[in-house]
Amino acid sequence: MNDKEIERWIAARMSRRDVLRAGGGLALGAAMAGCGLGNSTPDESATTREIEPEIDGDLVYFNWAQYLNPKLIKQFQRKYGVEVRESNFDSMPGMMAKLRSSNRYDLIFPSAEFANRLVSANFLLRIPRAKLAAIDDVYSFFDDPWYDPGSEHTVPYSLYLTGLGYRSDRVGAMSGSWRDLTNPEADGRSYILDDFQEGIGMANLVNGHDLNASEPEQLEQAKDYLIGLKPDLRGFSSDTITNMASGNAWIQHLWNGDIINARYRVDDPDTLRFQQNREGVPVGSDVFAIPANAEHPGTALLFIDFILERSAENATWTGYPMPTRSSERPYAELVADEPELQVTVEDLEAGQQFADLEGQAREDWDRVWTEVKAA
Amino acid sequence: MSATGKVARLPLARRRATRSSRPRDFDRPRFLRVVIGLFLVWTFAPIAIVILFSFNSSRSLQNFDGFSTQWYDEFLASPQLRESLYASLGIAVATMVLATILGTLLAYGLVRARNRITPVTNVIMLVPLVVPEIVAGVTALLLFTQIGIDLSVTTITIAHVTFSISFVTIIVRGRLVALNREVEEAALDLGATRTETLRLVVLPELWPAILAAALIVFALSFDDFVLSFFTTGESPQPLPVRIYSSIRFGVTPTINAIGTLMLIVSVTAIALALALPRLLGRRGGTVLIGKDAV
Amino acid sequence: MSERRFAGLMLLPGAAWLVLLFVVPLGITLAISFGVTDELGNALYAWKPENYSRIFDPLFAPVLLRSVGYAAATVVLCVLIGYPVAYYIARFGGRYKYLLVALVVLPFLVNYLIRIYAWTAILSDEGLVNGVLADAGFTDDGVRFLNTPWAVVGGLVYGYMAFMILPIYAALDRMDPTLVEAGKDLYGTRWQTFRHVTWPATFQGVLAGSVLVFLPTVGDFVSAQLLGGPDTYMVGNLIQQQFFDASNYPFGAALTTVLMGFLLVFMLFYLRSAGRAAEEARL
Repeated sequence: MNDKEIERWIAARMSRRDVLRAGGGLALGAAMAGCGLGNSTPDESATTREIEPEIDGDLVYFNWAQYLNPKLIKQFQRKYGVEVRESNFDSMPGMMAKLRSSNRYDLIFPSAEFANRLVSANFLLRIPRAKLAAIDDVYSFFDDPWYDPGSEHTVPYSLYLTGLGYRSDRVGAMSGSWRDLTNPEADGRSYILDDFQEGIGMANLVNGHDLNASEPEQLEQAKDYLIGLKPDLRGFSSDTITNMASGNAWIQHLWNGDIINARYRVDDPDTLRFQQNREGVPVGSDVFAIPANAEHPGTALLFIDFILERSAENATWTGYPMPTRSSERPYAELVADEPELQVTVEDLEAGQQFADLEGQAREDWDRVWTEVKAA
Repeated sequence: MSATGKVARLPLARRRATRSSRPRDFDRPRFLRVVIGLFLVWTFAPIAIVILFSFNSSRSLQNFDGFSTQWYDEFLASPQLRESLYASLGIAVATMVLATILGTLLAYGLVRARNRITPVTNVIMLVPLVVPEIVAGVTALLLFTQIGIDLSVTTITIAHVTFSISFVTIIVRGRLVALNREVEEAALDLGATRTETLRLVVLPELWPAILAAALIVFALSFDDFVLSFFTTGESPQPLPVRIYSSIRFGVTPTINAIGTLMLIVSVTAIALALALPRLLGRRGGTVLIGKDAV
Repeated sequence: MSERRFAGLMLLPGAAWLVLLFVVPLGITLAISFGVTDELGNALYAWKPENYSRIFDPLFAPVLLRSVGYAAATVVLCVLIGYPVAYYIARFGGRYKYLLVALVVLPFLVNYLIRIYAWTAILSDEGLVNGVLADAGFTDDGVRFLNTPWAVVGGLVYGYMAFMILPIYAALDRMDPTLVEAGKDLYGTRWQTFRHVTWPATFQGVLAGSVLVFLPTVGDFVSAQLLGGPDTYMVGNLIQQQFFDASNYPFGAALTTVLMGFLLVFMLFYLRSAGRAAEEARL
């Protein structure tokens, strides 16, 4: 049967009546969906499993890429004879999407405001702090943080702030402002983070508002500002280390540690520089967390302890300070020449942090970001 | 204008002899040769680069610094990547088996059954072929998440089968339609049941098409990205999904090794799909009178 | 058992699978497209047709138009490049016809992602092409190939070219070569012969190839994501974002439904015209 005959056969068969009949199946599907099971939020009991810091299987680890010293992972694997199965996300919503489609992870690294959301949704296991040997090294500031009262479900991992990274050998005239993103010397080689919070937050700061401004007019201004940036941007990208190291980016909206990390990968590290911006500096922290449906929480607990004990080695590799006393000095030495890279607990207390937006504000931020990307 | 040449057909050699000038340069084949040469360079260049750099002794993606199999070693040494390879192969095999069985039966039913549900079924069978992968991915993802099934290699396999059945049906149907029914009828007259006839007469005839369809489904499933991306669980993930993560989050040259290995698998499958039916089909069996299809 | 009943039974397993696992999910997608999301981002059933009206909002319309535009450009380029290639193989391939077809198809057996990724390495600012250009003295900073609409269309053309070449080749192969000879006598010039003989004879092949390229290209997101910039957002990227980034399944489902609807209408037109052409050919 050649093509033409098949086509005729198809055309003859595909009468309107038949398509309508097939549509009946669609209706059936919709009806089934209507009475099907939805996803229900877990109640509190899901979070109160007793866990011990002991090996109970391989670690299913979910984190930003290049955000933990790989040597430490190898050491952990060798010491305890287990495997660390790594997966990465490149945004908080991306992480949430994966968590929601019932993938089971043992250890995740949400940012503080997302940790807040996960805690209220009873999504995180209670972490028995007393069982962590290295917990006393952590700053007491984190004994009762705003995002996790009583610090029951999280252990702090790192501190960060957001600014602009740039190549001093390519762009000369940086003025210490967020508007430097469109510095004409950059020849269109600038990126902003592919992150709805950082993007809209930056726009808010440039417009003179609060980092978390959510009034409709303020968001409209933010949207217009971001859309106005697009012709001069090369892209939206959170792959900041690669962009800076490969030379694709001459100016990149990024988090402080990534500059340090990128420097390890280039021949000429002094050309990679960082600036904080006068309109405002978002600060924040990331945390360790164990999802309630983790299959190997014991290994996760052990891993947290392991990393806390080696916080200096980790912080100097990632470029982000860890909230431990033992890592304070090594990190300070690393950034001695560049105070703009340093972020401390005091900065956290004083600075602008991203809030966990609720209800309409959350929807509006999501909507604006989608519109910015699409325009 | 009729495409079935009612014009007298002279053998090509004689025709050329009777034409005086320009037998070859009618369409400037020299120009076309350049075109096709450039075309082949353009299509092969990236492949060649992937294969070449999979043997690079350095991390560079711009300079070839010497021969080494380190990236293959890294691939085989990584438990996660090995797992992904097994997952990809396993999914492809399972998809191949299920889709071929379901698709072949469906083809038989569509061709031989003359009842009221056949036209509808035909429409339903054709639609997956024209659906873009992203639509397929979204519908599959929503099916699993809204009903509450955890994503895993099983969900990937189910999704792959769903979108492979149509390929099998089309290919097998093409051959089925061209079969000579006399042998089947003879078998039935001699007392064989329908099932026996199907098994002993029809299937052996269909075998080349079924095999070709199966191998094509295997290759498609092994290489599939979008559908797998939407329906994959956490661990293991099929190779293409790992490649995507790798591209997004920091490329290592291991990706070139993975690409080369995948190329070998796919090419082998397609080559078999083309060669086996030819080889096996020649092994006689019943005589075919009528148009030869496929 | 009658043949009809027997065949009917054979039909059932495949049909049941397709209905349960293809048609029903389409229904679910339709249902969710009217839904809303909760705090954690779960999709809930509701009645919110605004999901659809949002799609035709001026902000999103460009994304849809752009996708169709890129897909159309891809089709045109595929025809322009693919037709000569198919022509050469069919008419002048001779002994090497099958080998050439195999060579043309071979690169397309490599995983799509890897092929696109290879191009990012070749075309990046400090990649091979720019390296050659710099050595030859043409440019200092490197030409920006990547992150442009042309890179995206180029990636799409590269990815789907085989779907255009094969149907055209099949049509050319089936065409009687003496027709071309007869045409030469009739029309005199090469161009006229092509226009009046070869092209109409192979038009159905071109059309089939165009459909095979257009459909997947409209929904593609890989090329735009890896090769494109902030202004090359396609509907596929938008949909992907709703499921993996923005956590708005209902909006994503609505977009998917609209895309699906648009393509089905397109397909119906194609099939009607193909059916009509087949009818005419018989007369």
